[in-house]
Amino acid sequence: MSFIRKYWLSAVAILVSVVVFLVPFAFIVLTAFKDPKQASLLDFSWPQGNYLWGNIVEVVTTRNWMLVTAFVNSSILTVASVALLVIFGAMVGFVLQRRKTRLNGLIEFLILAGLMIPPAVVPTIWLLQGIQLFGRLHGLILIEVAYGLPFTILLYRAFISTIPRELDEAAIIDGARPFDVFFKVILPLLWPVTVTNIVVQSVAIFNDFTNPLYYLPGNANATVQLTLYNFQSQFNTSYNLLFTNIVLITIPPLIVFLFFNRQIVAGMTAGAVKG
Amino acid sequence: MAGLELKSLYKSYGEVEVIKGVDLSVDHGEFVVFVGPSGCGKSTLLRMIAGLEEITGGELWIGDTLCNAVEPRDRGIAMVFQSYALYPHMTVYENMGFGLKLAKTPKDVRDAKIREAARILQMENLLERKPGQLSGGQRQRVAIGRAIVRKPEVFLFDEPLSNLDAALRVDMRMELSKLHDELGSTMIYVTHDQVEAMTLADKIVVLNGGVVQQVGSPIELYQRPANLFVAGFIGSPKMNFAPVNVDRVEGTSVTISGKDIAAMTLEIPLNAVQAGDVLTIGVRPHDLVPSPSGAIVGRIGLIERLGNETNVNIELPSGASWLAVLDGDQALQRGASLIMNLDRAKIAVFDAGGQAVTAEKPLA
Repeated sequence: MSFIRKYWLSAVAILVSVVVFLVPFAFIVLTAFKDPKQASLLDFSWPQGNYLWGNIVEVVTTRNWMLVTAFVNSSILTVASVALLVIFGAMVGFVLQRRKTRLNGLIEFLILAGLMIPPAVVPTIWLLQGIQLFGRLHGLILIEVAYGLPFTILLYRAFISTIPRELDEAAIIDGARPFDVFFKVILPLLWPVTVTNIVVQSVAIFNDFTNPLYYLPGNANATVQLTLYNFQSQFNTSYNLLFTNIVLITIPPLIVFLFFNRQIVAGMTAGAVKG
Repeated sequence: MAGLELKSLYKSYGEVEVIKGVDLSVDHGEFVVFVGPSGCGKSTLLRMIAGLEEITGGELWIGDTLCNAVEPRDRGIAMVFQSYALYPHMTVYENMGFGLKLAKTPKDVRDAKIREAARILQMENLLERKPGQLSGGQRQRVAIGRAIVRKPEVFLFDEPLSNLDAALRVDMRMELSKLHDELGSTMIYVTHDQVEAMTLADKIVVLNGGVVQQVGSPIELYQRPANLFVAGFIGSPKMNFAPVNVDRVEGTSVTISGKDIAAMTLEIPLNAVQAGDVLTIGVRPHDLVPSPSGAIVGRIGLIERLGNETNVNIELPSGASWLAVLDGDQALQRGASLIMNLDRAKIAVFDAGGQAVTAEKPLA
């Protein structure tokens, strides 16, 4: 009796999260196994036969192997953006935390503004066109870096405040120049929060749908999320192929999460409480 | 070979002056200790020497170089921090070699220097560990090792022992003293612990409120404090003070009396005081001796019997409270009255401004 009294709330919570998270995922996987006819019913039923392999082949080869191009593009986008975000975020966080100047208030306001104010798409496109970066992958990389930077900086700055300043000073006495202090002493110590940033930002950028849609038009430039449009149209949607596509592009972020799950929590909470 | 010369150093943060004109010269090989209450600017002064704080005014000479605008790495100094400040992601070996690596010292030279320093500090067995796996004392050793490896002209210590427990502190104190003998370098050491100051220093610099109060050898400071602050700060337990009036001056023998003190005659340099002056006398707790014909009469308050000595709180007629440290174990009654005599030669005399009354500084 006491067992039930103690754990009923946990049991309910687990049940609810199973329904909320696993049922949709099961629906996606089930539909990926179906043929077009059964998939178009959009019901939660067991597939009549295994059509998964055929679906995968069709999804990958559609529109001249567009999904492969998309995977390449998305990988470049994600790796480049996250690398820049980590370097710049850590640097800005470090300087902002360590050096107190009159500009700090303004900079902090701008960072918060970057978090709160929604991006203005049309002026940004106009600006990108002006500097010849519209519709190019490196233009989109800069966009992703700009949008992700405020959050990255906040995480880094909170963490850096827990690293005693004496470490910087010891390094300076040891003969370290500012870049040595940052790259040889501070950056290695930021590893937990760097992992958090890598995971959070790479998943966000890999899964980004709207920004590539606005800033990176054209078939050659497609990123994985945009390939979803291949199988939808106004009058006809191939649900079996759409869901197969979803399964395929969900795999990379899922792997990242599974590997780094523990470190994410460590990095998120580190810096929250001064230990 | 490098001494150190501070010429009217100033430091201010905006409006707030922290160091107000410090002049000091340190010879090569001297062990100098900065002491003072917290917030007196001793750490700031050390950090100015290290180059971690900018110098607002004045000159800092290390050896023959004016170092005001010289980068810390080029000053020929090494510093040991209170919190050790070891790099947590590096092993002890890498911690000690970090400075040499940055200076692009060849690997074999670096290795030799690290092993030499580890040998001096007897921690060859710790080289492969990370700081997290070390005890407080071992970490402190690594921090000192990191300083030794750099072969600096001047060692700077910022309260290096205050994070250690009492027993370890005594050990490390002796080791530091040994290290100083062995290396023969100039060392500057900041502490608020006067036992450390008295035992380690060749020369103590007492600071208060950003001003040097007195510079001298430990015994000099103990026996001839320059002013009330130094008298009260150096020596443990604290010196006792009482206000007195000058009744009569006959050449060098001056008769004084006060509320708490029966009239007595002291030898004071010629023309240093005049009749009617108000002075403060200071008596060390160890210089008070119970005697049937003493100058001081008080009621016994708290008694602490430590076996080898007895600390007695005495309430004087004016309400002031003095402390006497009596030899051996004394059976005294709380509330009883106690007559004490004081050793006249050891009484310190201060003028109304708090300065010691000496022949060189007669009252105007």
